[in-house]
Amino acid sequence: MFDLILQATYSGLLSGGSYALIALGLALVFGTMRVINLAHGEFVLLAAYIAYTVESQMDWNPLLALPISVVVVCITAAIVYLLVTRLDKNREMNSLILTFGLGVILTNLVLFIWKADIHSTSVGWFQEAVVLGPLYSMRSELLFFITSVVMVAILWVWLDKSWYGRAVRAVSSNRDAAKLMGINPHVTELISFLIAGILASFSGVALYCASVIQPALGNALTIKAFIITILAGIGSIPGVLIGAVLLGVSEALTITLLSSALQELTGMLLLLFVLLALPNGLFGRAGRRG
Amino acid sequence: MKIRFLLPVLAVVYLAIPYLWGGNNYVMSLLVAAFIIAGVALAWALLANLGGMVSFGHSAFFGVGAYLSALLCINYRLPVLAGILMGGIGAAVASIAMLPALRLRGPYFALAVLAYANIFKILAMEFKGITEGAAGVTNIPALPTVMGFDFSSKLGTYLVIVTIVLLFTGSYHLIRVSHYGAALKAMHDSEDATRVVGVNSTLLKAMMLFVSAFMTGVVGAVNAHYINFIDPDYAFDLGWTLLPMVAVVFGGYRTLMGPLVGAVGIFMLDQLVFKALIGTGHQIMLGAVLAVMVLFSPDGLVPLIGDKWKRIRRAQA
Amino acid sequence: MEFAKKLAQTAAILSLAAFASTAVADEFVVGSNLPLTGPQARWGQEVAEGFKLATEAFNRGSAKHKIKLIVTDDEGNPAKASAAAEKMISDGAVALYGGFPTPAVVGAANVATKAGLVYMSSGYGGTKADFKNFFQINAISGYQKAIAGTMLDMGAKSVSLIHNTKEGSAYVATAVAKALTDKGVKVTMHPYDSAIADFKPIINKIKLQDRPELISMVGYESEYIGMLRAAKVLKPEVKAIVCAYGVATPKMMADFPAELQNVYGTTMLSYPAEFATKDGKEFAEAFKKTFNKDPDYLAQFGYVSGQVLFEAIARAANAGTIAKGGIAAEMRKTDRETITGRVTFDETGFNPHFVLRMGQIQGNKIPLIWPKEAATGKMNFPGLPW
Repeated sequence: MFDLILQATYSGLLSGGSYALIALGLALVFGTMRVINLAHGEFVLLAAYIAYTVESQMDWNPLLALPISVVVVCITAAIVYLLVTRLDKNREMNSLILTFGLGVILTNLVLFIWKADIHSTSVGWFQEAVVLGPLYSMRSELLFFITSVVMVAILWVWLDKSWYGRAVRAVSSNRDAAKLMGINPHVTELISFLIAGILASFSGVALYCASVIQPALGNALTIKAFIITILAGIGSIPGVLIGAVLLGVSEALTITLLSSALQELTGMLLLLFVLLALPNGLFGRAGRRG
Repeated sequence: MKIRFLLPVLAVVYLAIPYLWGGNNYVMSLLVAAFIIAGVALAWALLANLGGMVSFGHSAFFGVGAYLSALLCINYRLPVLAGILMGGIGAAVASIAMLPALRLRGPYFALAVLAYANIFKILAMEFKGITEGAAGVTNIPALPTVMGFDFSSKLGTYLVIVTIVLLFTGSYHLIRVSHYGAALKAMHDSEDATRVVGVNSTLLKAMMLFVSAFMTGVVGAVNAHYINFIDPDYAFDLGWTLLPMVAVVFGGYRTLMGPLVGAVGIFMLDQLVFKALIGTGHQIMLGAVLAVMVLFSPDGLVPLIGDKWKRIRRAQA
Repeated sequence: MEFAKKLAQTAAILSLAAFASTAVADEFVVGSNLPLTGPQARWGQEVAEGFKLATEAFNRGSAKHKIKLIVTDDEGNPAKASAAAEKMISDGAVALYGGFPTPAVVGAANVATKAGLVYMSSGYGGTKADFKNFFQINAISGYQKAIAGTMLDMGAKSVSLIHNTKEGSAYVATAVAKALTDKGVKVTMHPYDSAIADFKPIINKIKLQDRPELISMVGYESEYIGMLRAAKVLKPEVKAIVCAYGVATPKMMADFPAELQNVYGTTMLSYPAEFATKDGKEFAEAFKKTFNKDPDYLAQFGYVSGQVLFEAIARAANAGTIAKGGIAAEMRKTDRETITGRVTFDETGFNPHFVLRMGQIQGNKIPLIWPKEAATGKMNFPGLPW
């Protein structure tokens, strides 16, 4: 039993890491603009399919797809941003509907271009086992986890130290005051969208290497990212990592201790608990949700 | 609704359509499917317009209504119409579980309701003893034959669902013009201010949630008796939230007729035009409709046309 | 002017059509509702291809009767399937055919029953159908026989059975578990939801708690790959991995050669296809020529359904009983060898002879290894992907 729990916790930790990288972009945009980008999962999916194309058409290692993914996804993110800024009234609600519609468009574009077949990398190196004492994982999972932690750290430091980072935070906490201080909120918001695009590109390529992709996946990824953003609370970058790991570990423990059919139930109950009992998420600064 | 609008509407749905297409089962079955979407769209719009809440989880009410009515009619031999009513009441009761989410704002509420919908679906899957689990419920009794008229025929089902949707539209109208409606409108303008003048906004919102859940549950139950089969994936399909949402955004959620016009319009467009033009992936057009409507006419098609119409009339005068 | 031209054109086309329909006096319309778009489209398209091929083959071989096929997309949705069925019946269909999923089959079969028409299917997931004149060339029991039969032949004493909680998969898994338990095999079930991302916790439970001889799985393509990758990392000490549909296909083997080595999966055909019969050879060649790819089991189901249905229509037409429910009567008389084995229908409309075969992925081939009389290769047992 102990071995089981140990391995489940480890597997959950690694899954959580991958969730974090997927959620990070969504959380950043939400923190800056209070806009939930329901097309975020499709950004990740797009990057994953670009990795597939690079591998299958050019016979390159899928990791080499990163630069192309970043360019394509960032252009897409910029378009989404420009459309979101066109919403003039009730932006919080209307952006939900707008980005949801854009997500449907992207999913079906992926279906047009790549068809419904499932894909994953054929580079066997990624699937080799890494054994650390009693703990087992695939190389790709470990790589995904490490990338995620590094990205969280970079983003955290960047938001804290750089001028732009401080501008993002300033816009996020008080848009009008930031404007008075000479910060152009449009530029800062665009930048946060572009960073979300870069993060989505990394997650997409990693997802292609570690898991199996298909067009319907985008929606599921968005929902997971959304849950983690809520768990973390607005504006907490390390909270995203911790929230994601919490979700990953609880899912894995549910499978081990109860039944694998109840995995999603755990995530949903966790979400409801945090929403209803901890109004600011686990780590968010106080913000009015009710 | 003003009488001069009401009469033509009634004439079209009860006389013109049955006269023109009553014998054409294909057109009737398309209309039944469209009006089922319309019923959910109306309930969704009521919650959005009067309650100010966008829900991503109406499939929860749809599924509860469908399951409850189906199981009551099969296991306890309840007459189908009573079952449908119970389906609506059951959905309203189920919405009590969502009351804690009422204090959440905007996107948080939307997501919380989505979580509820998922939980309900998993419960339907797991409580195999009651719901038959993933296998689903088969042999759900069809709508009855009353005084020699077979309501389980396409035309019969059409008349049932249209009547229900119109009754709901009427109730929606009555709520809107009642003092509750006025209070709800005031609540939109400023929640804090309403609280000061002694309106209990949470209670008002809760009532709108009950009404919306009831309507959705009834429509879900009608659909179950129409299709005669449900399983958790179908009854709690996210599509029962999404298509009505597209319909409302398309038709406009501030008007009474918006959800109905939107649902029938978008369903027919999707099935007859988009599918013929694009085939695989025709859902892309639904996404495009959502995006374009929100960007260019967030109040939907009906107010847009209404404005144009008024302007033309004014120009003529 | 423009209008008059249009009118003349339409009139011309209409008179041509009228002429054509009198020239080919004996044409029967058959309708098919399938998910050609939406999430199940991938499978629906395959079935449609097989059914179309059967139509072409029938029309080539029959001088007297012709079949006119209408395929309508139902997106796998019962309300749309119901509308599709109404449409096709109003277009004169004498019988309907539908693939899956179960809710869509129910939606259309109800309409066919009301209209008194035959409904043919190859993907209804239930074990009993409540429609009059309902026929299905396969049955869930066929999967159960192949999966449980293979594992019993392997001499397994204990099996861990992983399955998706969705309707079709849950049915098959429950039936397999029952067949095995009846023979004294210890079965541990591991149901999972489609939302699952990582199979390691399940595999680890199997490895440390169940310690079975065999792992069996009923699910969908991406889930098999996820499970096999997790198993490759944790390496539970089992002797074989026996899966259901969707694994032993040429496409999966080409896309995931490393993951699927030595894995078993239900199928109808070996790969490369080795048909013993003339029928089978013709089917495979015609399919490849028409669609430029290898047929998979769904295409075969579509093909055989078409064959059986069209022959019944032809027989009823010869007897002049089409209008009097003759197609259903002829369907009940069906008894023929097909490329999926013998087909007859019992009183519930299912084919009691239907048994799937079990294939094993060996190198870049998929020989059939079960049942013995259909085997085209030897079982690698014990045999694992790692």
